[in-house]
Amino acid sequence: MDFTILSIIMLAIGIYGLLTNRQLLKVFISIELIAIAGTLNFVMLAYPNGLSEALLILAFSADTAVSAVILALLVIVSKRYGTGDLSKIISKQESEETEVEAQ
Amino acid sequence: MIFEILAVGLIVSAILALFLDEVVYSVAALAGTFLFTALIYYLNGAIYAAIFQFVVGIGTIAVLFLSGEMLGEKTQKKASPAKTGGLIGAGILLSLPAFFISVSDQATTGPDIPIGEALWNLRGIDVLVQALVILTIALGIGIVLYERRKK
Repeated sequence: MDFTILSIIMLAIGIYGLLTNRQLLKVFISIELIAIAGTLNFVMLAYPNGLSEALLILAFSADTAVSAVILALLVIVSKRYGTGDLSKIISKQESEETEVEAQ
Repeated sequence: MIFEILAVGLIVSAILALFLDEVVYSVAALAGTFLFTALIYYLNGAIYAAIFQFVVGIGTIAVLFLSGEMLGEKTQKKASPAKTGGLIGAGILLSLPAFFISVSDQATTGPDIPIGEALWNLRGIDVLVQALVILTIALGIGIVLYERRKK
């Protein structure tokens, strides 16, 4: 059982989800999966060295901060455009821009 | 054997989290992903990592459940058992390379340092800086809430 391969598979799933999903929440879930892949590789490769667990706290802090910022952006964007679908948001943004140009 | 089961569970729950249509089910599958990761850490002896993963996971899932209802669009179509079964099968297939291919070399890891020593002797400064940042954020949130109440 190789945890490096497992984390590479998780990373691939996360990147695939990030590139193909159009829903903002699914994009957030993809980023979480990528973070899990990173921490899994980090802990399992360096274990039983305690330094890996000590450094993991930094990784978790960064992950939590990134999650908080992304969630805040998700809430702002979905309140502004009334939807969580990226394609709808882009089309609404384009129609707003054309309205501004027409004025 | 237990690690193989956990690895399959991890990959399957990750795939279900990404590809299920209903947001609530996706978040529940993501909770499973966090749980399987924490169990893998715990069974390998990385207890602190398991605790941190579990705590961060619970926080993320709680926020996602709250915001999922607010941001998620209601889908009329229900997930078919065939699609769910297909996703589970794909997850099992994807987890197979982890059992048969090996690339990591455990002999390259450095000397064993206890976590307490590593935390305070090697990372003392940035642990303190992180604590300062968290304190600043907490104070900032408190000030914003206080100002809003005053208005």
